[in-house]
Amino acid sequence: MVFLPSTTSATSTVDTGLKRSHVDFSRHLSSEARARLPNPIKSIWKAAQVKAGTINMGNGDPHHTLYPISEMNFVVPSIDEHDPVQSWRSGTGEQNIIASYKDDPCALSLRTAFAYGAGAGLQHVRDALADLNDRIHSPPNHTVSLSLGNADALTKCFRLLGDRGNSFLCEEFTFSAMTNAALPLGIEWVPVRMDKGGLVPSDLERILSNWNEVTQGKRPHVLYTIPCSQNPTGSTLSLERRQQIYQIAHDWDIIILEDDPYFFLQYDLGVDQSTIRQYGYTRAMAEVLPRSFLSMDYDGRVMRLDSFSKIVAPGMRLGWVTSNNFLAEKLDMLTDSSSQHPHGMGQAFVAELLGSDGWGVDGFMKWISSLCNEYQRRRDLFMDVFRQKVAVSGFATAEVPQSGMFVWIKINLEHHARFSTSQTPTVPGGPTTNTADLMDELFRKLLDCGLVMMPASTFAIVDRTGRTTGNHIGDRLNFFRATFVGTDETIRDGLTIFGRALEEFFCF
Amino acid sequence: MEGPQTDNHGTSNAIDLSHHLSGEARDRVANPLKDILRVISECPVADLISMANGDPHHSLYPFRQIMYEVPSVQDASDPMIHSYKDQECALSYSRRLPILPCCWTYNSAETCSPDFTKLIFAPPNHHVLLTLGNSDGITKVYRLLGEKGDHFLTDEFSFPSMTNSPLAYGVKWVGIKMDSGGIIPEELEKVLVKWERAHRINKVGCIIRVGQNPTGSTLSVDRRKKIYAIAQKWDLIIIEDDPYYFLQYDIPQTSRTSADPDEFIQDFRSTLIPTFLSMDVDGRVLRIDTLCLPPECDWVGLQAIKLFHQKLADYTDSSTQPPHAFGQMFVTEMLGEHGWKVEGFSRWLKSLRLDYQRRRDFLLDVFQREVESTGYASVNCPEAGMFVWIEVFFERHPRFVREQYSGGSPVVAQTNTEHLLKELFERLMNTQGVVFIPSSTFAIPENPLWVASDGHVPLRDRTRFLRATFGGTEEIIEKGMIRLGKGLREFFQD
Repeated sequence: MVFLPSTTSATSTVDTGLKRSHVDFSRHLSSEARARLPNPIKSIWKAAQVKAGTINMGNGDPHHTLYPISEMNFVVPSIDEHDPVQSWRSGTGEQNIIASYKDDPCALSLRTAFAYGAGAGLQHVRDALADLNDRIHSPPNHTVSLSLGNADALTKCFRLLGDRGNSFLCEEFTFSAMTNAALPLGIEWVPVRMDKGGLVPSDLERILSNWNEVTQGKRPHVLYTIPCSQNPTGSTLSLERRQQIYQIAHDWDIIILEDDPYFFLQYDLGVDQSTIRQYGYTRAMAEVLPRSFLSMDYDGRVMRLDSFSKIVAPGMRLGWVTSNNFLAEKLDMLTDSSSQHPHGMGQAFVAELLGSDGWGVDGFMKWISSLCNEYQRRRDLFMDVFRQKVAVSGFATAEVPQSGMFVWIKINLEHHARFSTSQTPTVPGGPTTNTADLMDELFRKLLDCGLVMMPASTFAIVDRTGRTTGNHIGDRLNFFRATFVGTDETIRDGLTIFGRALEEFFCF
Repeated sequence: MEGPQTDNHGTSNAIDLSHHLSGEARDRVANPLKDILRVISECPVADLISMANGDPHHSLYPFRQIMYEVPSVQDASDPMIHSYKDQECALSYSRRLPILPCCWTYNSAETCSPDFTKLIFAPPNHHVLLTLGNSDGITKVYRLLGEKGDHFLTDEFSFPSMTNSPLAYGVKWVGIKMDSGGIIPEELEKVLVKWERAHRINKVGCIIRVGQNPTGSTLSVDRRKKIYAIAQKWDLIIIEDDPYYFLQYDIPQTSRTSADPDEFIQDFRSTLIPTFLSMDVDGRVLRIDTLCLPPECDWVGLQAIKLFHQKLADYTDSSTQPPHAFGQMFVTEMLGEHGWKVEGFSRWLKSLRLDYQRRRDFLLDVFQREVESTGYASVNCPEAGMFVWIEVFFERHPRFVREQYSGGSPVVAQTNTEHLLKELFERLMNTQGVVFIPSSTFAIPENPLWVASDGHVPLRDRTRFLRATFGGTEEIIEKGMIRLGKGLREFFQD
């Protein structure tokens, strides 16, 4: 009953040049993704665009003359300042106005930005972000699709790849808001052990090689990882670990969901000033930023999720997914069947910002580099105050994070009078300490004292395979996730309260 | 205005509809981080310091002001709408208190509920959720209610971008017979009776629209009441998807134009046809509205009772997150003190619908001149929306075939209407250079199980329409109709 005009060579030039991947990824698709039909109206619309002069009376959206917005202006920092973030914060810097127009020329006309479009987003914006990708990651053969941010992208990937009863791999402490989102889909999580350096590759290998499909169901085929400023532990995977993990993924045919919203917030980088002078910020930053999974993805098994949430603002609700052409197409079909293309306002803003009348890609990387300096300053302040007010007592310790926004504070519960290691586990293999109870008590105490930090229990993924090694995660919940992105005052006051509350907790 | 049976928490003696939830919706847990935010907001400590978040401080947002140039709706108003980060405005995007959410930082879908709906719709017992657009709203509702094996009811000609969506996870559609007035209530009842004899229906949804896409029909008040009564009897959920609600035509102009803003809004409201929402005593209606702005900054509100609202908010927090701040800010400023205000926005809508009505009338005029005169097609006069539904008289075609046989499946085509329609569509596009959407794109495949066997004309024999929009410029409309007329003449003289 549905007309899908046949694909001629003319129509394929309208498509975004999808090339056939040499690896077959169809086995990774959920049954829903396999069954999904393309949007028939968009197929007709695409065919209608082929011949010049065709009158399209088949659409269903308002004509641009009736859009009640003819211009948008954004007041943004000037990127010509030496340290744009500092100038912006202090209000001393210049500002620029970048503009989008409906009826006048600009990087991306509002006529286009505000009309219905393909789920992947507007070509102009995708190209700009693909260019950024190329300069930072040089991905071998991938496509960019826009998203509404990483939560949106990730949960769509779950629907794309997961069927009821599937097991997916994740870090044992992870962004539980997202892993919870997969549960109603019938996906179960298999946690992989972590240490200070993040996910432990040998544990990943152990889980996969010991997997028994008869008793445990289909072997996991997806790994969800947050490689930089892991949420919540704040660790960043080393290059060596990334290579090991990629090799394991290659051996066992695993799709890697690289969730990387903090990628652009990196510290102690040692950016080369002469490189900046000679080649610009993009090249200088690209040389020192961590190697992403995407950059080593010769199989096409990585779906990388980038977001503007941490480097612009969460309300942007815009990000981009980079993946192989096959999976990108399937993802776009899902988007066309649900949330539709991202909002034109955000796309217009990004187009102007990265365009020749805005900051351009290099100006954007200059803003990033300036942002890194500011966040590093706050991180250093946090660690200083932490040493003075907290670590000095010995009740808590913390590693210095190399990226992102989080410090993973370890609470040394063994110093607590009521700490016990001889609890009878309520389930076989269950926790044998009273860590969970003590941490709960401490969390509430902090609240009473006027401070809130995220307890580790919020992020813990319990192993249900019954094949775990070492102790139960319930015995390892003695951590808080704290952020250092607040004001200097917040950091000082917060950590002062923390130090005092800890003393009261341990001593009284 | 709330109904007399409601209390402060929005609960009422409305019936329990939780059995309508899909397994996925039942299993969904609230986003644990947002739960912590709630715990925090309930904490009695006055100046709580939060180190629990994971988003940038607003001082690091690289913008401090956004300006939009918009038309003026009152003579004296400033055509620029401003939004500020650090100054007073309708929706400032820095936090006023440490914990209070605002649209630029992370927030919960539940907290984004403007008052506009209360003024225009006065829902009896419903809460508002913002979605990203109609498609987003509807597909979220599908996931809320539907799972593998479920059947949903809708018009026999319906919008495939949306109806295709739940097919992928095993929801099936049942198309209900329509006439020029939309879904026929008696046909709906017939299907339900027949269905019950064959299977047990667990839960079913039904989709209704004003300015129905694609046929352009509008359900009368009488039909709405009948359908609601059927929904009550058979325990159906009604999804009222109404993107064209504000584009209603041929409304008699009141002799006085009220200067008082509240009166203007009241007048404006009274000209619009009553919604299913307004008669929803049970809480079985979920209504999706669009403010008729460009597709991007669309304010799309989903109104539903607390149970569904909560579940949808949880789902939103676990997926797309609430709508982007650009749009929220824009709409809030627009409806706020320094913008158009609700009254000004009503003026805009009124003016917009008169504009579309002119375009509709223009199309009908040109159609009469260029197409109707051929004798091969006729067109309806839609009371709302953006589409006309052009009927083509394929029986006049030299190659029209009607098979004469009795017995066999009641849904198999007995004419070659579908084939001729396809040919016409392609010819119009490739030879004449004009594109319409053929009705076969919208037709819901029939299932013999629910079709009455006596005298039933298969849908495939009735799919003889083209959908055209009058949303374009006059030039597009004129050219389009001329090409249609020419194309029809050539096609029928084949």
